[in-house]
Amino acid sequence: MRKIVENRFGLLALVLVAIGALYGVAFATRPAPVARAAATPLKAPVESVTTVCPSPSGTRVSVITPSGAQGPGAATLGAVAPPTGKNGKPAKPQAPLGVIQRPGRLWQREVPAGGGPLAVAATGSMAAGLEASQTAREKSGTQRGLAGVRCVEPGNDAWFVGPGPAAAEMTLYLTNADAAPADVTFMVYSGEGPVLSERGNGMILQPGESRVVNLRDLAPSPLVMALEVSTGSGRVAAAVKAVYGKGLGVDWIPAAAPPATRVVVPGIPGIAGPRELYVTAPGEQDTVVQVKAVLKDGSYALKNKETVEVPAGSTATFDLTTGVSGQAAALVLTADVPIVAGLKITGTGSSQDVAFTAGAPSIDLGSVVADGRSAKKQVSRLVLSAPFTAATVRVQLLPADGTPPAPVEVKLPAARTRELTLTPPPGGASFSVVVQPQPGSGPVYGGRVVDEPTPDGEMLTAQPLAVARIWALVPPTADSPGAVLP
Amino acid sequence: MHSVTAIVVAHDGARWLKETLAAVLRQTRPLDRVVGVDNGSRDGSGRILSEAFGQHNVLSLSRSTGFGEAVHEALGRLPAAQGTEWIWLLHDDCAPDAEALQALLWAADQDPKAAVLGPKLRDWLDRRVLLEIGVTVSRSGRRDTGLEPREYDQGQHDGVHDVLSVSTAGMLIRRDVWDQLSGLDTALPLFRDDLDLCWRARVAGHRVLSVSDAVAWHAEASARRRRRIATSDEHPRRLDRRNALFVIMANLPFWALLRSIVRNVTGSFVRTVLFLLAKQPANALDEMAALGSVLAHPGRLRRARKARRNGRKQGYPAVQRLLTPPGAAFRRLADMVQGFLAGAGPVDSAGRHHAAASDDSAEDDGDELLTDSGVVQRLFSSPGVVLCLALAAVTLVAERSLLTGGLLGGGALVPVTGGASDLWRLYVEDHHTAGLGSDAWAPPYVAVLAALSTVFLGKTWLAVSVLLLGCVPLAGFSAYAATKRMIPYVPARVWLAATYALLPVATGAVASGRLGTAIVFVLLPVYAALATRITAGSRRAAWGFGLLLTVGTAFVPLVYVLVAILGALAAVSFAGVRRGVTRSLAIGLGTPIVLLLPWLAGIVRDPGRILLESGLHDTSPADPRLAAQSLLMLSPGGPGLPPFWVTAGLVAVALAALLLRRHQMVVAVGWGVMLFGVLVATVVSRMTAGGGPAWPGVPMAFAATGLLVAAAHPAHRIAEFRAGGRLRRLGVLLIVVVAFATPLAAAGFWVARGAGGPLERGVPDPMPMLAALGSAHGEATLLLRPKDGRVSYTLLRGRAPLIGESDLASPADAGHGLGAAVAGLASGGGGTHTQTLASMGVAFVSVPGPVDPALRRSLDSDPALVRMSLSDSGGLWRMGGQVTVAPPPAVKGSTHRIWLWAQGALLVLMLVLASPGARTGEPEEDYADVPVEAAPRGRRRSKEDRVPA
Repeated sequence: MRKIVENRFGLLALVLVAIGALYGVAFATRPAPVARAAATPLKAPVESVTTVCPSPSGTRVSVITPSGAQGPGAATLGAVAPPTGKNGKPAKPQAPLGVIQRPGRLWQREVPAGGGPLAVAATGSMAAGLEASQTAREKSGTQRGLAGVRCVEPGNDAWFVGPGPAAAEMTLYLTNADAAPADVTFMVYSGEGPVLSERGNGMILQPGESRVVNLRDLAPSPLVMALEVSTGSGRVAAAVKAVYGKGLGVDWIPAAAPPATRVVVPGIPGIAGPRELYVTAPGEQDTVVQVKAVLKDGSYALKNKETVEVPAGSTATFDLTTGVSGQAAALVLTADVPIVAGLKITGTGSSQDVAFTAGAPSIDLGSVVADGRSAKKQVSRLVLSAPFTAATVRVQLLPADGTPPAPVEVKLPAARTRELTLTPPPGGASFSVVVQPQPGSGPVYGGRVVDEPTPDGEMLTAQPLAVARIWALVPPTADSPGAVLP
Repeated sequence: MHSVTAIVVAHDGARWLKETLAAVLRQTRPLDRVVGVDNGSRDGSGRILSEAFGQHNVLSLSRSTGFGEAVHEALGRLPAAQGTEWIWLLHDDCAPDAEALQALLWAADQDPKAAVLGPKLRDWLDRRVLLEIGVTVSRSGRRDTGLEPREYDQGQHDGVHDVLSVSTAGMLIRRDVWDQLSGLDTALPLFRDDLDLCWRARVAGHRVLSVSDAVAWHAEASARRRRRIATSDEHPRRLDRRNALFVIMANLPFWALLRSIVRNVTGSFVRTVLFLLAKQPANALDEMAALGSVLAHPGRLRRARKARRNGRKQGYPAVQRLLTPPGAAFRRLADMVQGFLAGAGPVDSAGRHHAAASDDSAEDDGDELLTDSGVVQRLFSSPGVVLCLALAAVTLVAERSLLTGGLLGGGALVPVTGGASDLWRLYVEDHHTAGLGSDAWAPPYVAVLAALSTVFLGKTWLAVSVLLLGCVPLAGFSAYAATKRMIPYVPARVWLAATYALLPVATGAVASGRLGTAIVFVLLPVYAALATRITAGSRRAAWGFGLLLTVGTAFVPLVYVLVAILGALAAVSFAGVRRGVTRSLAIGLGTPIVLLLPWLAGIVRDPGRILLESGLHDTSPADPRLAAQSLLMLSPGGPGLPPFWVTAGLVAVALAALLLRRHQMVVAVGWGVMLFGVLVATVVSRMTAGGGPAWPGVPMAFAATGLLVAAAHPAHRIAEFRAGGRLRRLGVLLIVVVAFATPLAAAGFWVARGAGGPLERGVPDPMPMLAALGSAHGEATLLLRPKDGRVSYTLLRGRAPLIGESDLASPADAGHGLGAAVAGLASGGGGTHTQTLASMGVAFVSVPGPVDPALRRSLDSDPALVRMSLSDSGGLWRMGGQVTVAPPPAVKGSTHRIWLWAQGALLVLMLVLASPGARTGEPEEDYADVPVEAAPRGRRRSKEDRVPA
């Protein structure tokens, strides 16, 4: 020891040994890299839902909550009315149109003509997956045809893409079912660009107020248009109805998915007739939209119809009749700027009827369609597409009467579309459909189409499948004072 | 025609008397009569007087006779002379110049109104030093000569001046005036009798002149306790102070007297407190005793005032303009503060007879840490200051993005809002409303920050900016100053300070907003410096060390563990060497425990917290798998670091230092600290704390300190080597290049990549303005921030959180309820979650931008929430329904109150013990006027005893 201390290099050697030992310890204890587990949200049943059927007068209203949720619950159907009367006193609560307390059973009622919008408010077990829709069937007159729409949840932003007031009589139904006033703003994107109304493009809806707006007042000239209904504060339930005129068809325009660079327009039925695509680029940049059709035998760009040019802030139309008419299909649109898309389906015959579908989200959490019907010549079709990867979907019919049939598993190969004709068990002419992608499936898009051949032409209506309100994704939360920092 | 009678009063003054008498008899203007008075001397003064003046010219009086009494006695026996008769009063320790009398009489001839004249007094021993050219007094009784301490006479004050009073030593007074005023007041046997006489002379319409052509040398033997005072048993300082007060109060007109009483009573109390703080209890006692003695005898004062009644008010204006102007008090205060900063005692004794005996040779520990001078030139020629300026420049460039703009925050630092008062309130309040409410006691670093913010004019942001962003230059300064004694070689100190300041730990602490590490990093060299003082036996350094360690521990508890381990090792090594080191170490290590007791107890209960530091834990980034080479190269991981090899030069130089045979001990100790620090850093970096990996910054700073000392201590050998052969010179050059490569490369990388990291300027205020304006008292805003699929949330009660609020523990059950409600709200599944939140007082839900679309949909879909705004900068929703704010629970905070008071009292006590006050090394020069009874230490008493009585 003394030798080490007295040697010139002794101390250095000692220190080097110690450093080596420390390095060894540090090296050996270095933990292996751990991939940070991504936080996965939990699924929890939805606990309360409010939807508004925009104009149920003279239509059949269907309300369904798929069975599965436990505990008590009730769905109440009632007219939307202001919470306070004219002289400021609380209004008398009106008797509800109906109270549903049993999930898994389709509730249908023909609503007599007259009256305003109908709110369906559900809580508890009746809320998880509540779906409501209104469907009208007229055999003659300007309203001839099938016209159905999902009852919509009040929201802050809704997009509608379809014909303009110059092509059809367009009517916007606005309802404020909340307790707070809604400050609504409209924005119209016509074929020539954004339309700024001289009469102002906004209105305030008091709680319980509903309004019917003729879109001709907002923008009289567009042949095609996209309408954005947004609120600065409060929420509003918006729906748009297009009436082409006698013998030309009628239907509601479904709300389109908000602007995105990839939009899937599903639910195009295998029925003959013209197909017209509407694409809007609401931003400030022109774009070229790539169009691919997902058909039953594969997904490919249509010949000579590969792209659509959309000027900034305007809506373009694109005739796809020769591409997808008569084939069940979905369209995948991609662009480098966010776009919104819709599609008009026209039936055949001397008196035409139209139906609309629109860009829709994938139904990862399942989807419920309230109104399916299969009576006489009416056919309900389910068009399902798996445009990217293969998927397996379980389809369950819930009839209004009788026991539900066993669910059917449908396999969707990647980049394929399948059309199912929904046949209910004997005796149940009216039914609801629950579509549930199975675990491991890729994104699934779909639509439901009801058509009824009549002697003077086919009547039809369509709606893209919306994400069911069965499950809410509960994100993991953390009480963290660091949340104050970006 | 003048006739001059000299009266020399002697009292145990044989030591000076011979010279005095010789000077009296040698006058160029011969004296007409000389009288000697011997007040019962025991040292043969009487004999000397008799030899000089003749037996019958000397009067012998009793030992208890005062000066004034003696003069009265002598004059009573002298018949009046012809012409204008003058009396020249002389002390036995006052030798006049040969021409003094001539000059005085000449001046008297020039001004017929001059009745009292005095010579210029110089010091007996150092004959160039000026003592007096006339004296005045302030309204508080402070004697004022108008001279600097130890001012040399270079003729700067020469001339004949109108003054308030002159000393009785060498005073020439007309006998008729003496008789008119009835001479010196015998109630004042010593001190201020001259002032009283001259005041009365002035009031009577005469003039008092100081004649600088007349010079006398005065030993001030009584005032400096060169001899015992027989007329009174009291201490001269107390006597002087009492007489000063008495004279002032006796001579002032009534209204001025009232003012003076008020002023003196307050002033005495303030001075007493200051004396106590300065650990000079004897001075404090004297101060109070003097005041009490004057006020306790109103009869005496009344008699004295009655005797002076004539013309007092009329003559006052003549006196008033000669009193010390009131503004001088402020100047003196400024001088005192300056002196305190320079390390002098905080109180300049007002009772001192003269201001000459100030110590200018003393240099105590800790001085080097204080800026002692405002001299610009000296500042800029100091290498330490130049180094700090260079580091500050590097810092400013590197932190270019962090200097100006909005709120500073990020990493471990919450956006800095609020002021000192908010922090103080957070520290002392019993119930915190922040978040879900908490009854926990605020962590002690809040108090430190609050105190610092108070120093920075109440601006917390300024305090945090200076401490965190200025961490590098501050650390450089402290490292440079702290190594003054350890490393005498200045270039090595400069290198050490620069390298230390630019260590990866410092830049990492800045980038990740670790205020605690930044403060400890600045304090660490101070710890080292104070530790060396402790091992040298300084008790005051131990208290200072304890206090600073308390500050460091409050921010980073780990620092205490490291210091305690090293201190225990030091105690084992040094305990046998020096007495008292163990006790000093116990003081240093015990102070933080005492001052932080409840908080430390909480840490002991939850030992994992020892690895945490102040600030946010979940957002402070650290490397979970720090590489072994980074650990050895003192790179602590996380953002804001240069490549790990930047410190290679430092390690290489320190390794080279191991090869030197001299100073091996210091180098070995330095390396020991380094290896210990790295070992602790390795352990720390492999542990997790507060939901993330622990950051080994502080142990690495310890390691670096050891390494730097090991490398820099033998650096003065470089000068020797440079004088050696060519090969050695090359070697030296190589070492210098390698050594300076580390700070230069670190600075280069820092400047190149910028100092920012998670820390940034312009962090948006977490509390949206709309919500802040719209919240009623107690209403909360729920802040949601989705990150990596996880929604982080926190509750803000009407304002952004303060520093320290994140460390308050909330009740667990309420936390779970809030978590469930937030999860339900973020899922968008509806339900009663919003009602739960409203019952917790949540009135707003805020999502900072860019708003996650899924979360926005969820919030929008909730009918109970009303959206107020949505933009790229964030969204805000208002609770539509009834919001209930729970009243704050009635908390019994008595324990907390008691503790706060106790902590404050302990802190004051320790500050007093640690602050420079009474000096352990009082200068023992000949003029030391330290009273015997105030000197507790035997060392000093023995020196006093050597002075002949």
